[in-house]
Amino acid sequence: MKKNAPLKKAKIFDPYHARTFTIRWCVRILLLLFTLITLYPLFWNIMSSFKTTEEILISLTALPQGLAWDNYVRAFVAANMGEYLFNSIFVVTLSLTLLLILTVPCAYALARYRFFGSRVIELLFATCLFIQTVYIFIPLYNLMHRLNMLDNLWALSLVYAAISVPFAAFLLAGYMRGLSPSFEEAAKIDGCGNWRTLLKIVVPMSKPGIITIAMLNGIGFWNEYILALVTLRSPANHTLPIGVANLFEVQRRATDFGALYAALMIVLIPTLIIYFIGQRHLTKGIALGGVKE
Amino acid sequence: MKARKRSKLNSIPRGFVALCVLPALAGVLLFLIYPTVNAIMMSFTNASSLAAGSWDFVGLDNYIRMFTNDPQFITALQNTVQLLAVVPVVTIFLALVFAYGLTQAKLKEKGVYRVLFFIPNIISLVVVAVVFSALLHPRSTGPINMLIGIIDLDAVPWLGDPTWAIWAITIVMVWQAVGYYMVLHIAAIDGISKDIFEAADIDGASAPAKFFRITVPMLLDNIGITYVLALAGTMSISFILGRIMTNFGPGTATLVLPGHMFNMAFTAASFGYAMAIMAFTLLMALVFAFISRKLTARRASMFGD
Repeated sequence: MKKNAPLKKAKIFDPYHARTFTIRWCVRILLLLFTLITLYPLFWNIMSSFKTTEEILISLTALPQGLAWDNYVRAFVAANMGEYLFNSIFVVTLSLTLLLILTVPCAYALARYRFFGSRVIELLFATCLFIQTVYIFIPLYNLMHRLNMLDNLWALSLVYAAISVPFAAFLLAGYMRGLSPSFEEAAKIDGCGNWRTLLKIVVPMSKPGIITIAMLNGIGFWNEYILALVTLRSPANHTLPIGVANLFEVQRRATDFGALYAALMIVLIPTLIIYFIGQRHLTKGIALGGVKE
Repeated sequence: MKARKRSKLNSIPRGFVALCVLPALAGVLLFLIYPTVNAIMMSFTNASSLAAGSWDFVGLDNYIRMFTNDPQFITALQNTVQLLAVVPVVTIFLALVFAYGLTQAKLKEKGVYRVLFFIPNIISLVVVAVVFSALLHPRSTGPINMLIGIIDLDAVPWLGDPTWAIWAITIVMVWQAVGYYMVLHIAAIDGISKDIFEAADIDGASAPAKFFRITVPMLLDNIGITYVLALAGTMSISFILGRIMTNFGPGTATLVLPGHMFNMAFTAASFGYAMAIMAFTLLMALVFAFISRKLTARRASMFGD
Protein backbone atom coordinates (compact mmCIF):
# COMPACT_ATOMS: atom_id res chain seq x y z
CA MET A 1 0.00 0.00 0.00
CA LYS A 2 2.81 2.40 0.90
CA LYS A 3 4.32 1.98 -2.56
CA ASN A 4 1.21 3.42 -4.18
CA ALA A 5 0.76 6.32 -1.83
CA PRO A 6 2.58 9.00 -3.90
CA LEU A 7 0.18 8.34 -6.79
CA LYS A 8 -2.79 9.76 -4.92
CA LYS A 9 -1.98 13.29 -6.06
CA ALA A 10 -2.04 12.23 -9.75
CA LYS A 11 -4.41 14.18 -12.00
CA ILE A 12 -7.71 12.40 -12.36
CA PHE A 13 -8.95 12.25 -15.93
CA ASP A 14 -12.45 12.19 -17.40
CA PRO A 15 -13.26 8.49 -17.87
CA TYR A 16 -12.82 8.15 -14.15
CA HIS A 17 -15.43 10.84 -13.54
CA ALA A 18 -17.83 9.25 -15.98
CA ARG A 19 -17.45 5.96 -14.19
CA THR A 20 -17.98 7.40 -10.72
CA PHE A 21 -21.09 9.18 -12.03
CA THR A 22 -22.60 5.87 -13.18
CA ILE A 23 -21.56 4.10 -10.00
CA ARG A 24 -23.04 6.90 -7.93
CA TRP A 25 -26.42 6.51 -9.60
CA CYS A 26 -26.37 2.72 -9.31
CA VAL A 27 -25.66 3.04 -5.61
CA ARG A 28 -28.35 5.67 -5.28
CA ILE A 29 -30.99 3.47 -6.93
CA LEU A 30 -30.00 0.51 -4.76
CA LEU A 31 -30.21 2.66 -1.64
CA LEU A 32 -33.56 4.16 -2.64
CA LEU A 33 -34.90 0.66 -3.16
CA PHE A 34 -33.70 -0.37 0.25
CA THR A 35 -35.13 2.80 1.80
CA LEU A 36 -38.49 1.79 0.35
CA ILE A 37 -38.20 -1.69 1.86
CA THR A 38 -37.12 -0.21 5.19
CA LEU A 39 -39.88 2.35 5.45
CA TYR A 40 -42.80 0.53 3.87
CA PRO A 41 -43.83 -1.36 7.05
CA LEU A 42 -43.85 1.92 8.94
CA PHE A 43 -45.85 3.63 6.19
CA TRP A 44 -48.20 0.66 6.10
CA ASN A 45 -48.77 0.93 9.84
CA ILE A 46 -49.52 4.67 9.69
CA MET A 47 -51.86 4.07 6.76
CA SER A 48 -53.67 1.16 8.40
CA SER A 49 -54.20 3.08 11.63
CA PHE A 50 -56.45 5.47 9.69
CA LYS A 51 -58.47 2.80 7.89
CA THR A 52 -61.74 1.43 9.15
CA THR A 53 -61.73 -2.28 9.94
CA GLU A 54 -63.94 -2.91 6.87
CA GLU A 55 -61.37 -1.20 4.65
CA ILE A 56 -58.58 -3.30 6.17
CA LEU A 57 -60.53 -6.49 5.59
CA ILE A 58 -61.20 -5.58 1.95
CA SER A 59 -57.59 -4.73 1.11
CA LEU A 60 -54.38 -4.70 3.11
CA THR A 61 -52.62 -2.39 0.67
CA ALA A 62 -55.24 0.18 -0.39
CA LEU A 63 -54.91 3.72 0.88
CA PRO A 64 -57.41 4.87 3.54
CA GLN A 65 -60.64 6.45 2.26
CA GLY A 66 -60.70 8.98 5.07
CA LEU A 67 -59.03 9.50 8.42
CA ALA A 68 -60.65 7.17 10.93
CA TRP A 69 -59.47 8.99 14.06
CA ASP A 70 -61.92 7.01 16.16
CA ASN A 71 -59.45 4.07 15.83
CA TYR A 72 -57.23 6.01 18.19
CA VAL A 73 -60.11 6.81 20.54
CA ARG A 74 -61.05 3.12 20.74
CA ALA A 75 -57.39 2.17 21.23
CA PHE A 76 -57.03 4.61 24.12
CA VAL A 77 -60.33 3.92 25.84
CA ALA A 78 -61.67 0.47 24.92
CA ALA A 79 -58.25 -1.20 24.52
CA ASN A 80 -56.78 0.49 27.64
CA MET A 81 -53.80 1.95 25.80
CA GLY A 82 -54.13 5.15 27.85
CA GLU A 83 -53.43 3.22 31.03
CA TYR A 84 -50.54 1.27 29.48
CA LEU A 85 -49.11 4.50 28.09
CA PHE A 86 -49.10 5.95 31.60
CA ASN A 87 -47.37 2.81 32.97
CA SER A 88 -44.74 2.94 30.23
CA ILE A 89 -44.00 6.61 30.87
CA PHE A 90 -43.70 5.83 34.59
CA VAL A 91 -41.32 2.90 34.05
CA VAL A 92 -39.11 4.75 31.58
CA THR A 93 -38.85 7.87 33.77
CA LEU A 94 -38.10 5.95 36.94
CA SER A 95 -35.68 3.46 35.43
CA LEU A 96 -33.79 6.18 33.57
CA THR A 97 -33.47 8.25 36.73
CA LEU A 98 -32.21 5.24 38.67
CA LEU A 99 -29.84 4.27 35.87
CA LEU A 100 -28.27 7.73 35.80
CA ILE A 101 -27.97 7.86 39.59
CA LEU A 102 -26.18 4.50 39.54
CA THR A 103 -24.10 5.01 36.41
CA VAL A 104 -22.81 8.59 36.42
CA PRO A 105 -20.84 8.42 39.70
CA CYS A 106 -19.68 4.88 38.93
CA ALA A 107 -18.45 5.80 35.45
CA TYR A 108 -16.71 8.86 36.87
CA ALA A 109 -14.90 6.86 39.55
CA LEU A 110 -13.82 4.25 37.01
CA ALA A 111 -12.68 6.88 34.53
CA ARG A 112 -10.69 8.99 36.99
CA TYR A 113 -9.34 6.75 39.72
CA ARG A 114 -7.29 3.57 39.84
CA PHE A 115 -8.40 2.05 43.11
CA PHE A 116 -8.41 -1.35 44.75
CA GLY A 117 -10.65 -3.55 42.63
CA SER A 118 -11.20 -1.10 39.77
CA ARG A 119 -9.72 -3.51 37.23
CA VAL A 120 -11.89 -6.31 38.55
CA ILE A 121 -15.00 -4.15 38.28
CA GLU A 122 -14.16 -3.18 34.71
CA LEU A 123 -13.62 -6.81 33.80
CA LEU A 124 -16.87 -7.76 35.52
CA PHE A 125 -18.83 -5.10 33.63
CA ALA A 126 -17.22 -6.15 30.34
CA THR A 127 -18.32 -9.75 31.00
CA CYS A 128 -21.81 -8.54 31.85
CA LEU A 129 -22.14 -6.94 28.41
CA PHE A 130 -22.62 -10.48 27.20
CA ILE A 131 -25.30 -11.46 29.74
CA GLN A 132 -28.55 -10.30 28.16
CA THR A 133 -32.09 -10.47 29.52
CA VAL A 134 -32.94 -13.19 27.02
CA TYR A 135 -30.54 -15.57 28.79
CA ILE A 136 -31.37 -14.80 32.40
CA PHE A 137 -35.06 -13.90 32.46
CA ILE A 138 -36.05 -17.10 34.25
CA PRO A 139 -33.56 -16.92 37.17
CA LEU A 140 -34.29 -13.19 37.31
CA TYR A 141 -37.99 -13.99 37.60
CA ASN A 142 -37.15 -16.44 40.37
CA LEU A 143 -35.07 -13.87 42.25
CA MET A 144 -37.75 -11.19 41.92
CA HIS A 145 -40.31 -13.70 43.12
CA ARG A 146 -38.28 -14.35 46.27
CA LEU A 147 -37.73 -10.63 46.87
CA ASN A 148 -41.45 -10.02 46.42
CA MET A 149 -40.76 -7.82 43.40
CA LEU A 150 -43.16 -9.37 40.87
CA ASP A 151 -45.99 -7.40 39.30
CA ASN A 152 -44.59 -4.14 40.55
CA LEU A 153 -43.57 -1.26 38.28
CA TRP A 154 -41.18 0.24 40.85
CA ALA A 155 -39.33 -3.05 41.19
CA LEU A 156 -39.26 -3.64 37.44
CA SER A 157 -37.75 -0.16 36.93
CA LEU A 158 -35.05 -0.91 39.49
CA VAL A 159 -34.16 -4.15 37.70
CA TYR A 160 -34.13 -2.41 34.31
CA ALA A 161 -31.73 0.18 35.72
CA ALA A 162 -29.43 -2.36 37.40
CA ILE A 163 -29.08 -4.66 34.41
CA SER A 164 -28.32 -1.70 32.14
CA VAL A 165 -25.46 -0.40 34.30
CA PRO A 166 -22.56 -2.30 32.66
CA PHE A 167 -23.17 -1.04 29.12
CA ALA A 168 -24.01 2.50 30.26
CA ALA A 169 -21.00 2.71 32.57
CA PHE A 170 -18.74 1.28 29.87
CA LEU A 171 -19.91 3.90 27.36
CA LEU A 172 -19.90 6.85 29.77
CA ALA A 173 -16.53 6.00 31.34
CA GLY A 174 -15.10 5.89 27.83
CA TYR A 175 -16.53 9.33 27.18
CA MET A 176 -15.29 10.76 30.50
CA ARG A 177 -11.76 9.49 29.92
CA GLY A 178 -11.66 11.71 26.86
CA LEU A 179 -12.35 14.83 28.95
CA SER A 180 -9.48 16.89 30.29
CA PRO A 181 -9.20 16.60 34.09
CA SER A 182 -7.86 20.16 34.43
CA PHE A 183 -11.26 21.71 35.23
CA GLU A 184 -11.87 19.22 38.02
CA GLU A 185 -8.40 19.81 39.43
CA ALA A 186 -8.92 23.57 39.35
CA ALA A 187 -12.27 23.18 41.10
CA LYS A 188 -10.71 21.01 43.79
CA ILE A 189 -7.90 23.48 44.39
CA ASP A 190 -10.59 26.11 44.87
CA GLY A 191 -11.97 23.91 47.63
CA CYS A 192 -14.82 22.32 45.73
CA GLY A 193 -15.76 18.94 47.24
CA ASN A 194 -15.84 15.71 45.28
CA TRP A 195 -19.62 15.54 44.95
CA ARG A 196 -19.92 19.20 43.96
CA THR A 197 -17.16 18.74 41.40
CA LEU A 198 -19.00 15.74 39.97
CA LEU A 199 -22.33 17.54 39.79
CA LYS A 200 -21.21 21.04 38.74
CA ILE A 201 -18.20 20.28 36.52
CA VAL A 202 -18.21 16.68 35.32
CA VAL A 203 -21.91 16.20 34.63
CA PRO A 204 -22.26 19.33 32.44
CA MET A 205 -19.09 18.41 30.56
CA SER A 206 -20.30 14.84 29.99
CA LYS A 207 -23.70 15.95 28.73
CA PRO A 208 -23.33 14.46 25.22
CA GLY A 209 -22.35 11.09 26.69
CA ILE A 210 -25.17 11.21 29.22
CA ILE A 211 -27.71 12.11 26.54
CA THR A 212 -26.50 9.16 24.45
CA ILE A 213 -26.94 6.61 27.22
CA ALA A 214 -30.26 8.16 28.25
CA MET A 215 -31.58 7.86 24.70
CA LEU A 216 -30.28 4.36 24.05
CA ASN A 217 -31.64 3.05 27.33
CA GLY A 218 -34.82 5.14 27.29
CA ILE A 219 -35.84 3.63 23.95
CA GLY A 220 -34.75 0.20 25.21
CA PHE A 221 -36.89 0.48 28.37
CA TRP A 222 -39.85 1.79 26.39
CA ASN A 223 -39.74 -1.22 24.07
CA GLU A 224 -38.71 -3.87 26.61
CA TYR A 225 -40.87 -6.96 26.28
CA ILE A 226 -39.34 -10.12 27.79
CA LEU A 227 -38.97 -9.09 31.43
CA ALA A 228 -42.25 -7.18 31.43
CA LEU A 229 -43.92 -10.28 29.99
CA VAL A 230 -42.73 -12.60 32.75
CA THR A 231 -43.02 -10.23 35.73
CA LEU A 232 -46.13 -8.08 35.16
CA ARG A 233 -49.16 -10.22 35.90
CA SER A 234 -52.11 -7.88 36.50
CA PRO A 235 -53.41 -5.90 33.50
CA ALA A 236 -53.38 -2.70 35.55
CA ASN A 237 -49.58 -2.91 35.55
CA HIS A 238 -49.02 -3.74 31.89
CA THR A 239 -46.70 -1.58 29.83
CA LEU A 240 -47.39 -0.71 26.19
CA PRO A 241 -45.51 -3.61 24.56
CA ILE A 242 -47.37 -6.14 26.73
CA GLY A 243 -50.69 -4.39 26.19
CA VAL A 244 -50.23 -4.34 22.43
CA ALA A 245 -49.08 -7.96 22.28
CA ASN A 246 -52.18 -9.02 24.25
CA LEU A 247 -54.41 -6.88 22.05
CA PHE A 248 -52.96 -8.62 18.99
CA GLU A 249 -53.65 -11.98 20.61
CA VAL A 250 -57.27 -10.94 21.21
CA GLN A 251 -57.66 -9.49 17.70
CA ARG A 252 -57.00 -12.86 16.16
CA ARG A 253 -60.51 -13.70 17.30
CA ALA A 254 -62.21 -10.32 17.56
CA THR A 255 -61.87 -7.95 14.63
CA ASP A 256 -61.09 -4.36 15.58
CA PHE A 257 -58.01 -4.14 13.38
CA GLY A 258 -58.30 -0.35 13.10
CA ALA A 259 -57.85 0.07 16.86
CA LEU A 260 -55.00 -2.48 16.87
CA TYR A 261 -52.95 -0.55 14.31
CA ALA A 262 -53.73 2.72 16.08
CA ALA A 263 -52.43 1.12 19.30
CA LEU A 264 -49.19 0.24 17.50
CA MET A 265 -48.82 3.88 16.53
CA ILE A 266 -49.15 4.89 20.19
CA VAL A 267 -46.11 2.70 20.94
CA LEU A 268 -44.21 4.01 17.93
CA ILE A 269 -44.78 7.75 17.93
CA PRO A 270 -42.82 8.64 21.11
CA THR A 271 -39.77 6.62 20.00
CA LEU A 272 -39.85 8.22 16.55
CA ILE A 273 -40.05 11.72 18.04
CA ILE A 274 -37.17 11.06 20.42
CA TYR A 275 -35.17 9.49 17.60
CA PHE A 276 -35.56 12.39 15.20
CA ILE A 277 -34.71 14.92 17.90
CA GLY A 278 -31.62 13.11 19.09
CA GLN A 279 -30.56 10.67 16.36
CA ARG A 280 -27.14 12.28 16.13
CA HIS A 281 -26.41 11.32 19.76
CA LEU A 282 -27.87 7.87 19.27
CA THR A 283 -25.92 6.82 16.18
CA LYS A 284 -22.75 8.31 17.62
CA GLY A 285 -23.24 6.28 20.79
CA ILE A 286 -23.86 3.11 18.79
CA ALA A 287 -20.67 3.64 16.82
CA LEU A 288 -18.72 4.27 20.02
CA GLY A 289 -20.14 1.32 21.90
CA GLY A 290 -19.81 -1.07 19.02
CA VAL A 291 -16.46 -0.24 17.57
CA LYS A 292 -14.39 0.32 20.65
CA GLU A 293 -13.79 -2.92 22.43
CA MET B 1 -1.44 23.76 54.36
CA LYS B 2 0.19 23.22 51.03
CA ALA B 3 1.02 19.61 51.83
CA ARG B 4 -2.60 18.96 52.75
CA LYS B 5 -3.82 20.31 49.45
CA ARG B 6 -1.46 18.13 47.50
CA SER B 7 -2.41 15.03 49.38
CA LYS B 8 -6.06 15.84 48.73
CA LEU B 9 -5.37 15.96 45.00
CA ASN B 10 -3.19 12.92 44.62
CA SER B 11 -4.57 10.42 47.04
CA ILE B 12 -7.73 8.54 46.27
CA PRO B 13 -10.80 9.84 48.13
CA ARG B 14 -11.78 6.39 49.38
CA GLY B 15 -15.18 7.25 50.80
CA PHE B 16 -16.21 9.13 47.68
CA VAL B 17 -15.07 6.39 45.30
CA ALA B 18 -16.79 3.72 47.38
CA LEU B 19 -20.07 5.65 47.39
CA CYS B 20 -19.76 6.14 43.63
CA VAL B 21 -19.08 2.53 42.78
CA LEU B 22 -20.81 0.37 45.38
CA PRO B 23 -24.51 0.99 44.54
CA ALA B 24 -23.91 0.22 40.85
CA LEU B 25 -21.77 -2.78 41.72
CA ALA B 26 -24.40 -4.09 44.14
CA GLY B 27 -27.11 -3.78 41.47
CA VAL B 28 -25.00 -5.64 38.91
CA LEU B 29 -24.05 -8.39 41.35
CA LEU B 30 -27.62 -8.88 42.52
CA PHE B 31 -29.51 -8.68 39.22
CA LEU B 32 -26.96 -9.95 36.68
CA ILE B 33 -24.25 -12.05 38.31
CA TYR B 34 -26.34 -13.75 40.97
CA PRO B 35 -29.11 -14.94 38.60
CA THR B 36 -26.49 -16.30 36.18
CA VAL B 37 -24.56 -18.19 38.85
CA ASN B 38 -27.76 -19.33 40.54
CA ALA B 39 -29.14 -20.62 37.24
CA ILE B 40 -26.01 -22.63 36.51
CA MET B 41 -26.26 -24.23 39.96
CA MET B 42 -29.98 -24.92 39.59
CA SER B 43 -29.32 -26.57 36.23
CA PHE B 44 -27.93 -29.57 38.15
CA THR B 45 -31.12 -29.97 40.18
CA ASN B 46 -34.61 -31.31 39.63
CA ALA B 47 -36.28 -28.14 40.96
CA SER B 48 -39.82 -28.12 39.64
CA SER B 49 -41.56 -24.99 40.80
CA LEU B 50 -40.26 -21.47 40.30
CA ALA B 51 -40.66 -20.71 43.96
CA ALA B 52 -37.56 -22.28 45.48
CA GLY B 53 -39.15 -25.38 46.94
CA SER B 54 -37.49 -28.67 47.68
CA TRP B 55 -35.11 -30.07 45.11
CA ASP B 56 -32.27 -32.53 44.79
CA PHE B 57 -29.04 -32.46 42.90
CA VAL B 58 -29.32 -34.72 39.89
CA GLY B 59 -25.89 -34.21 38.37
CA LEU B 60 -25.89 -34.00 34.59
CA ASP B 61 -29.37 -35.54 34.19
CA ASN B 62 -30.89 -32.35 32.76
CA TYR B 63 -28.14 -32.05 30.19
CA ILE B 64 -28.48 -35.71 29.23
CA ARG B 65 -32.25 -35.29 28.92
CA MET B 66 -31.78 -32.44 26.43
CA PHE B 67 -29.99 -34.60 23.93
CA THR B 68 -31.57 -37.99 24.53
CA ASN B 69 -35.14 -37.42 25.58
CA ASP B 70 -36.40 -34.10 24.27
CA PRO B 71 -37.06 -33.82 20.52
CA GLN B 72 -38.40 -30.29 21.03
CA PHE B 73 -35.03 -29.22 22.38
CA ILE B 74 -33.31 -30.61 19.29
CA THR B 75 -35.74 -28.70 17.06
CA ALA B 76 -35.17 -25.51 19.07
CA LEU B 77 -31.41 -26.03 18.86
CA GLN B 78 -31.53 -26.56 15.09
CA ASN B 79 -33.68 -23.46 14.58
CA THR B 80 -31.45 -21.35 16.81
CA VAL B 81 -28.24 -22.50 15.13
CA GLN B 82 -29.81 -21.87 11.72
CA LEU B 83 -30.79 -18.35 12.75
CA LEU B 84 -27.38 -17.67 14.31
CA ALA B 85 -25.70 -18.80 11.10
CA VAL B 86 -28.00 -17.14 8.58
CA VAL B 87 -29.26 -13.91 10.16
CA PRO B 88 -26.00 -12.29 11.30
CA VAL B 89 -24.15 -13.33 8.14
CA VAL B 90 -26.81 -11.99 5.75
CA THR B 91 -27.36 -8.90 7.89
CA ILE B 92 -23.70 -8.03 8.24
CA PHE B 93 -23.07 -8.68 4.53
CA LEU B 94 -25.94 -6.41 3.45
CA ALA B 95 -24.95 -3.80 6.03
CA LEU B 96 -21.37 -3.83 4.71
CA VAL B 97 -22.50 -3.49 1.10
CA PHE B 98 -24.74 -0.52 1.93
CA ALA B 99 -22.16 1.08 4.20
CA TYR B 100 -19.54 0.64 1.48
CA GLY B 101 -21.80 2.07 -1.23
CA LEU B 102 -22.75 4.97 0.98
CA THR B 103 -19.20 5.91 1.91
CA GLN B 104 -17.62 5.26 -1.50
CA ALA B 105 -20.18 6.94 -3.75
CA LYS B 106 -19.76 10.11 -1.67
CA LEU B 107 -23.46 10.85 -1.92
CA LYS B 108 -24.59 14.22 -0.63
CA GLU B 109 -27.62 12.63 1.04
CA LYS B 110 -25.50 10.08 2.95
CA GLY B 111 -26.70 11.36 6.32
CA VAL B 112 -30.37 10.99 5.33
CA TYR B 113 -29.97 7.32 4.45
CA ARG B 114 -28.16 6.69 7.68
CA VAL B 115 -31.00 8.21 9.67
CA LEU B 116 -33.70 6.35 7.73
CA PHE B 117 -32.03 2.91 7.70
CA PHE B 118 -31.69 3.01 11.45
CA ILE B 119 -35.44 3.41 12.06
CA PRO B 120 -36.35 -0.33 12.18
CA ASN B 121 -33.94 -0.70 15.07
CA ILE B 122 -35.76 1.77 17.34
CA ILE B 123 -39.21 0.34 16.61
CA SER B 124 -40.62 -1.90 19.33
CA LEU B 125 -40.22 -5.54 18.31
CA VAL B 126 -43.82 -6.12 19.32
CA VAL B 127 -44.89 -3.56 16.72
CA VAL B 128 -42.57 -5.16 14.16
CA ALA B 129 -44.08 -8.57 14.89
CA VAL B 130 -47.68 -7.38 14.58
CA VAL B 131 -47.08 -5.36 11.40
CA PHE B 132 -45.18 -8.16 9.68
CA SER B 133 -47.86 -10.67 10.67
CA ALA B 134 -50.16 -8.65 8.42
CA LEU B 135 -47.57 -7.96 5.70
CA LEU B 136 -46.83 -11.69 5.52
CA HIS B 137 -50.51 -12.50 5.04
CA PRO B 138 -50.62 -15.98 3.46
CA ARG B 139 -53.09 -15.21 0.65
CA SER B 140 -52.03 -13.62 -2.64
CA THR B 141 -53.54 -10.33 -1.39
CA GLY B 142 -50.91 -10.10 1.37
CA PRO B 143 -48.53 -7.18 0.70
CA ILE B 144 -45.37 -9.28 0.57
CA ASN B 145 -47.04 -11.93 -1.57
CA MET B 146 -48.21 -9.16 -3.93
CA LEU B 147 -44.59 -8.05 -4.23
CA ILE B 148 -43.56 -11.62 -5.02
CA GLY B 149 -46.46 -11.79 -7.51
CA ILE B 150 -44.83 -9.00 -9.54
CA ILE B 151 -41.99 -11.36 -10.46
CA ASP B 152 -44.59 -14.04 -11.15
CA LEU B 153 -44.01 -16.34 -8.19
CA ASP B 154 -46.80 -18.14 -6.37
CA ALA B 155 -48.06 -16.84 -3.05
CA VAL B 156 -46.07 -18.21 -0.12
CA PRO B 157 -47.98 -19.37 2.97
CA TRP B 158 -45.28 -17.84 5.24
CA LEU B 159 -46.23 -18.03 8.93
CA GLY B 160 -48.85 -20.72 8.49
CA ASP B 161 -46.47 -23.21 6.97
CA PRO B 162 -43.92 -25.30 8.93
CA THR B 163 -41.13 -24.92 6.37
CA TRP B 164 -41.70 -21.26 5.47
CA ALA B 165 -42.35 -19.86 8.96
CA ILE B 166 -38.71 -19.86 10.07
CA TRP B 167 -37.74 -18.08 6.82
CA ALA B 168 -40.46 -15.51 7.36
CA ILE B 169 -38.94 -14.78 10.76
CA THR B 170 -35.45 -14.71 9.22
CA ILE B 171 -36.57 -12.04 6.73
CA VAL B 172 -38.05 -9.88 9.49
CA MET B 173 -34.89 -10.22 11.58
CA VAL B 174 -32.67 -9.17 8.69
CA TRP B 175 -34.97 -6.23 7.89
CA GLN B 176 -34.81 -5.16 11.51
CA ALA B 177 -31.05 -5.31 11.98
CA VAL B 178 -29.40 -4.17 8.74
CA GLY B 179 -29.55 -0.45 9.56
CA TYR B 180 -27.97 -0.92 12.97
CA TYR B 181 -24.98 -2.78 11.58
CA MET B 182 -24.71 -0.35 8.71
CA VAL B 183 -24.23 2.52 11.15
CA LEU B 184 -21.54 0.49 12.93
CA HIS B 185 -19.71 -0.24 9.68
CA ILE B 186 -19.95 3.30 8.30
CA ALA B 187 -18.00 4.51 11.31
CA ALA B 188 -15.40 1.81 10.70
CA ILE B 189 -15.11 2.39 6.94
CA ASP B 190 -14.68 6.10 7.56
CA GLY B 191 -11.75 5.06 9.70
CA ILE B 192 -9.96 3.37 6.77
CA SER B 193 -7.46 5.70 5.16
CA LYS B 194 -8.79 7.36 1.99
CA ASP B 195 -5.37 6.83 0.40
CA ILE B 196 -5.93 3.10 0.13
CA PHE B 197 -9.15 3.50 -1.87
CA GLU B 198 -7.68 6.24 -4.04
CA ALA B 199 -4.62 4.16 -4.79
CA ALA B 200 -6.88 1.25 -5.73
CA ASP B 201 -8.94 3.55 -7.98
CA ILE B 202 -5.87 4.64 -9.87
CA ASP B 203 -4.74 1.05 -10.23
CA GLY B 204 -8.11 0.46 -11.88
CA ALA B 205 -9.63 -1.75 -9.19
CA SER B 206 -13.33 -2.45 -9.70
CA ALA B 207 -15.89 -1.67 -7.00
CA PRO B 208 -16.41 -5.35 -6.04
CA ALA B 209 -12.64 -5.84 -5.96
CA LYS B 210 -12.25 -2.89 -3.61
CA PHE B 211 -15.09 -4.24 -1.49
CA PHE B 212 -13.68 -7.76 -1.13
CA ARG B 213 -9.96 -6.89 -1.17
CA ILE B 214 -9.92 -3.72 0.93
CA THR B 215 -13.13 -3.09 2.87
CA VAL B 216 -13.82 -6.62 4.09
CA PRO B 217 -10.23 -7.47 5.14
CA MET B 218 -9.71 -4.09 6.79
CA LEU B 219 -12.95 -4.46 8.73
CA LEU B 220 -12.59 -8.13 9.67
CA ASP B 221 -11.87 -7.32 13.27
CA ASN B 222 -14.89 -5.05 13.34
CA ILE B 223 -17.05 -7.66 11.64
CA GLY B 224 -16.07 -10.11 14.36
CA ILE B 225 -17.19 -7.71 17.06
CA THR B 226 -20.50 -7.00 15.34
CA TYR B 227 -21.11 -10.75 15.02
CA VAL B 228 -20.68 -11.11 18.78
CA LEU B 229 -23.16 -8.27 19.28
CA ALA B 230 -25.53 -9.89 16.78
CA LEU B 231 -25.55 -13.18 18.74
CA ALA B 232 -27.45 -11.87 21.76
CA GLY B 233 -29.64 -9.75 19.49
CA THR B 234 -30.58 -12.76 17.39
CA MET B 235 -31.49 -14.75 20.50
CA SER B 236 -33.85 -12.17 21.95
CA ILE B 237 -35.39 -11.03 18.67
CA SER B 238 -36.13 -14.60 17.58
CA PHE B 239 -37.80 -15.18 20.94
CA ILE B 240 -40.00 -12.08 20.74
CA LEU B 241 -40.96 -12.52 17.08
CA GLY B 242 -41.54 -16.24 17.53
CA ARG B 243 -43.73 -15.76 20.55
CA ILE B 244 -45.91 -13.05 19.03
CA MET B 245 -46.03 -14.01 15.36
CA THR B 246 -46.34 -17.80 15.52
CA ASN B 247 -46.33 -18.77 19.20
CA PHE B 248 -43.25 -20.81 18.18
CA GLY B 249 -45.35 -22.81 15.72
CA PRO B 250 -46.83 -24.12 13.54
CA GLY B 251 -46.11 -27.11 15.74
CA THR B 252 -42.55 -26.38 16.82
CA ALA B 253 -41.44 -24.93 13.47
CA THR B 254 -40.20 -21.62 14.92
CA LEU B 255 -39.30 -22.81 18.40
CA VAL B 256 -35.97 -21.31 19.52
CA LEU B 257 -33.92 -22.07 22.64
CA PRO B 258 -35.15 -19.11 24.73
CA GLY B 259 -38.71 -20.06 23.75
CA HIS B 260 -38.23 -23.66 24.83
CA MET B 261 -36.67 -22.44 28.07
CA PHE B 262 -39.70 -20.18 28.60
CA ASN B 263 -42.14 -23.04 27.98
CA MET B 264 -40.24 -25.43 30.24
CA ALA B 265 -40.18 -22.92 33.11
CA PHE B 266 -43.64 -21.38 32.87
CA THR B 267 -45.79 -24.07 31.28
CA ALA B 268 -44.11 -27.36 32.17
CA ALA B 269 -42.79 -26.06 35.54
CA SER B 270 -39.46 -27.84 35.02
CA PHE B 271 -37.34 -25.13 36.50
CA GLY B 272 -34.10 -27.07 36.84
CA TYR B 273 -34.40 -28.28 33.26
CA ALA B 274 -35.13 -24.75 31.98
CA MET B 275 -31.97 -23.58 33.75
CA ALA B 276 -29.95 -26.30 32.07
CA ILE B 277 -31.23 -25.10 28.69
CA MET B 278 -30.28 -21.55 29.70
CA ALA B 279 -26.78 -22.58 30.71
CA PHE B 280 -26.38 -24.52 27.48
CA THR B 281 -27.62 -21.55 25.42
CA LEU B 282 -25.26 -19.15 27.14
CA LEU B 283 -22.35 -21.54 26.67
CA MET B 284 -23.22 -22.02 23.01
CA ALA B 285 -23.34 -18.25 22.45
CA LEU B 286 -19.95 -17.94 24.14
CA VAL B 287 -18.48 -20.63 21.89
CA PHE B 288 -19.89 -18.91 18.78
CA ALA B 289 -18.47 -15.60 19.99
CA PHE B 290 -15.10 -17.16 20.73
CA ILE B 291 -14.87 -18.85 17.34
CA SER B 292 -15.84 -15.70 15.47
CA ARG B 293 -13.28 -13.63 17.38
CA LYS B 294 -10.57 -16.22 16.75
CA LEU B 295 -11.29 -16.35 13.03
CA THR B 296 -11.55 -12.62 12.44
CA ALA B 297 -8.77 -11.51 14.78
CA ARG B 298 -6.23 -13.85 13.19
CA ARG B 299 -7.04 -12.82 9.63
CA ALA B 300 -6.89 -9.18 10.62
CA SER B 301 -3.37 -9.59 11.96
CA MET B 302 -2.34 -11.57 8.86
CA PHE B 303 -3.48 -8.64 6.77
CA GLY B 304 -1.43 -6.32 8.93
CA ASP B 305 1.83 -8.18 8.17
